[in-house]
Amino acid sequence: MPRGARTDTRADTAIAAACALVALILLVLPDAPRARTAGLVRGTLVAPLVTLQQRASLARRAFSSHDSLVLIADSVLRRSQRLDEVTSENVRLRGLLRLSETIRWDFVPAEALVGRGLGDDNTVLLSAGARSGVKRLSAVVATDGLVGMVQHVDANSSVAMVWPNPELRVSATSADGTAFGIVTAHQGPGAEGYLLELRGVSFRSKLPLGSVVVSSGLGGVYPRGIPIGVVIEELRGTAGWERSYLLRPAVRPPDVTSVLILQPGNTAGLDSVWRAQPDSSRPR
Amino acid sequence: MSARSVSIMIVVALMMALHFTLRPVLDWRAGVDFLTIAVLVVAVRVRPGVAALVGFAVGIVADALAPESFGAGALAMTIVGFAASRLKAAFFADNVLINAVFVFVGKVAFDLIFIVAERRLGGSGLAWQLLLWTPLSAVLTALVGLFVMSVVRPTLERRRG
Repeated sequence: MPRGARTDTRADTAIAAACALVALILLVLPDAPRARTAGLVRGTLVAPLVTLQQRASLARRAFSSHDSLVLIADSVLRRSQRLDEVTSENVRLRGLLRLSETIRWDFVPAEALVGRGLGDDNTVLLSAGARSGVKRLSAVVATDGLVGMVQHVDANSSVAMVWPNPELRVSATSADGTAFGIVTAHQGPGAEGYLLELRGVSFRSKLPLGSVVVSSGLGGVYPRGIPIGVVIEELRGTAGWERSYLLRPAVRPPDVTSVLILQPGNTAGLDSVWRAQPDSSRPR
Repeated sequence: MSARSVSIMIVVALMMALHFTLRPVLDWRAGVDFLTIAVLVVAVRVRPGVAALVGFAVGIVADALAPESFGAGALAMTIVGFAASRLKAAFFADNVLINAVFVFVGKVAFDLIFIVAERRLGGSGLAWQLLLWTPLSAVLTALVGLFVMSVVRPTLERRRG
């Protein structure tokens, strides 16, 4: 081999080795600097591509749900025609009863850009970021219940950890408040990997199959009353002083398209949102 | 910058745009990996070092959207790009079938390296991924890659000549 060609080959190998080394360093970095680096790339180089992906997801949703959206728009229009009258009546009645204003929760609506590729199971990219008021460790919910928690916040987007992530922990209780435990992703084989697990329930609190499990509000991240799942089986083989249950999740992250990011703070009474929706968390 | 380099950059940009627009629209579990196609299209036309750099850059872009595995995509794309460029003389020929096999193997190699580097999948999840989703995705990627290569080849070859 001529000397020039050999030098070129060595240079190529050195470049490839350097790239592989940098990639390996990124892989083993601690969470915080790795998240900062990923956020930097997302906020600069990848920002136009994220916008493209967001538009594409919106287009797909618009195409697939056009008919149902038209129906919803029609019914919303009909209801809104009566809204002013009902609102003023409500204010008048609350004044008569000397009640304060209705409770309001702060939330940020966002599109969930769910990927289907490798490495996309545990996180989801949200289309709202710090500029919209999103804060780290905010709960992310959908109409059917809990989706996850905001893990990283960029200027215009954020990344949420969703419940298949083994690091996600939610303090939970049965809907009637008789049993408490911690919900995590169930590390089971095959399709069981798509289920949740309620651990650490005291032995005297036996939950019947079909019981709805909601967030307990303990820990300060997830407000009380967000549906998490429904009990489908009691797990055997756990220690004698506690019970564990297998839950069917209220929300399947791959099906999530729109979410609400709850702002930490005034979330009292949030459980009434799902209590008013008898269909949520019901077995389907 | 030569006209050929500009053409290659346009092809890469187009593939990346398709990856972030067409893929979410189709929303298939075993989707077409336009990023692997982009890296392979480049890899067979540049030096191995440049192919590794392009692979690294494309991998970082993909990783940024899934920070849990940040670095795994970059590592996998670097190795696929470098290896594809080194093996182009042996594998990249005018034979259509060989080109399809080239893309198929590239996609399978990418998934394998990614899964090993990410260290998340295991047990039956790993088996499903390697025995079903990866081959399905690789077949689709190979078909689309074949189409892309047949479209871009006349342009890129003419510019080289």
